[in-house]
Amino acid sequence: MPIFCLGVNHKTAPIEIRERLAFAEKAVPRHLAEICGIDEISEAVVLSTCNRVEIYGGAENPAAALDKLAKYLVGHFAVESGEVEFYRHEAAAAANHLFEVASGLDSMVLGETEIFGQVKKAYATAKTAGTTARRMNKLFQQSFSVGKLVRSSTRIQQGSTSIGSAAVDLAEKIFGQLGGCRVMIIGAGEMSRTTAQSLLSRGAKSIIVSNRSFDKAEELAAELKGRAVRFDDWESCLDEVDIIISSTSAPHAVVRHEMIHRVMAERRGHSLFLIDIAVPRDIENEVNRIDNVYLYNIDQLQQIASEGKARREKQIAVCREVISAFLREKGIEALAGLPEGRHGDETARIQPDTAARPLTNP
Amino acid sequence: MDDLYLILATLAFLGGFILAAVSLRSESPRKQGLNIPIAIVGLIFQSLFLQLRGEMHGRCPITNGAEVLVFVSWSIVIMYLALGKAFRLSLLGVFSMPMVFVFQVIAITYLFAADPGPRRPVTLDPWLELHAAMSLLAYGAFGLAGVAGVMYFFQDRQLKSHHPGRLFYSMPPIRYLVDALVRLLVIGTLLLSVGIVASFFMRTIPARSHLLISGAVWLAYLTLILVHLIKRIPPKPLCFSAIIAFAFALLTLSAL
Repeated sequence: MPIFCLGVNHKTAPIEIRERLAFAEKAVPRHLAEICGIDEISEAVVLSTCNRVEIYGGAENPAAALDKLAKYLVGHFAVESGEVEFYRHEAAAAANHLFEVASGLDSMVLGETEIFGQVKKAYATAKTAGTTARRMNKLFQQSFSVGKLVRSSTRIQQGSTSIGSAAVDLAEKIFGQLGGCRVMIIGAGEMSRTTAQSLLSRGAKSIIVSNRSFDKAEELAAELKGRAVRFDDWESCLDEVDIIISSTSAPHAVVRHEMIHRVMAERRGHSLFLIDIAVPRDIENEVNRIDNVYLYNIDQLQQIASEGKARREKQIAVCREVISAFLREKGIEALAGLPEGRHGDETARIQPDTAARPLTNP
Repeated sequence: MDDLYLILATLAFLGGFILAAVSLRSESPRKQGLNIPIAIVGLIFQSLFLQLRGEMHGRCPITNGAEVLVFVSWSIVIMYLALGKAFRLSLLGVFSMPMVFVFQVIAITYLFAADPGPRRPVTLDPWLELHAAMSLLAYGAFGLAGVAGVMYFFQDRQLKSHHPGRLFYSMPPIRYLVDALVRLLVIGTLLLSVGIVASFFMRTIPARSHLLISGAVWLAYLTLILVHLIKRIPPKPLCFSAIIAFAFALLTLSAL
């Protein structure tokens, strides 16, 4: 009994379609039961995230099952016939697709790990709802193994892909774990907020926010659970922090070489990481020449992010080789949880790179 | 047979370094896991060499420059295997392998050119053996501290350049490197202190030059640690001092 997959993702459907097709978390068990109520479908798992809506299942006649499933989705969600094109995968191609999804190869941020947890959660929900059996159990368990294998045996997670993640990666290469790191934001802009949140998500603490408009500083400090200081006073906090994010709209340098030079003499060798995301720049370039001070501006962070993305893209082929080798080793029969010999060699010979086949509008 | 073990150990470290270098440049990081098994293989051959030399001399095998270099190399590998993981510095082994390789190549060349042969003592002095073993183990820790210092400069340069290469992502954070360096200096100084205390109980009184040189090395490291504890030396001068101090300690070995 072949496995199949039907869905849309961020590459094939705009957000306007994806948001309408998204399954409400609480309604997933009900939908799973309804999908399994379709004659041809005996097992089902729904993977619904902000970037994809996919249904994996098992059916004797996958082509007919996929048609009925597409009709079900159009019928139950606010999408018009002809408005959406689902991709369809069967047998090894479906397994291959799930493996790529679990490995982060199909994600918007290549190699990201959040999807791995989302796949696990989707499977757990289906299992609790009683809509998985031998094939889905085996398929999803294998996908977890593949996801881990791809991440441990390739460099798909290496390198930063955004300004925020580049800042965090650099901070971790300076300080190690960010648990004890204190951050100061000078200029309460959107980019500062995003970068600070990236640092906070990795454990940084004691955020100090300073802004020309004190109200805005207080607002951002409250949001980030930090404290606000008046713009005239931020210099006095320099010796308290490890990371400074500056993004004021000042037309001249706000953080000057002599300020940092003076502070570093008092810091007794503790490193200082400065992130200048303002244009024109807030921090004098000469600051980077001071020992134990590391200054990065927006262009340099952007460059690191671009290189990181390119590096991850180069890894796609390596990851696909790992997945193909896994599929070759396990074989579709094993993934389907069926004894060798059933369904013959024809199914087993299906190549994992079988192209997605858009469904004709139901 | 002892020569063969030394050559095999040297080849193991060379192979380990080449494999690590290739792995760090390759698209797949999996081969990095082989560093430790290769270091263990190298250590086994080193140990076999030292055991045979020890049996030949009837004492701790540090009777000539070649043996001393192999003993220091052995100490570096032991320290790396014992502490590398605890300090979260698996790459410390990769960076120390070239140094171990060079030391052993010098040792092989020396032994092939002019192996002085057995030098059995008239009477065995356990305090002398303890003094020598502890001192050379301390040199292993100092050597590894020097390697951590080199790694710090490498990573600092990458961070300052704004163009981090592939190795940057595999390297440990600079804070961990400095922390590990300080711990290795402390461990080395403690071991050397034990060695020096043991020398007070030796039956044979060491040469004045030996005492002066050992004391100078011990004092240099002790001063470095004390100044760091009191004043907190900034990372760059601290790493530089650790590298220079080890170079000095190595030079003194030839005089000992």
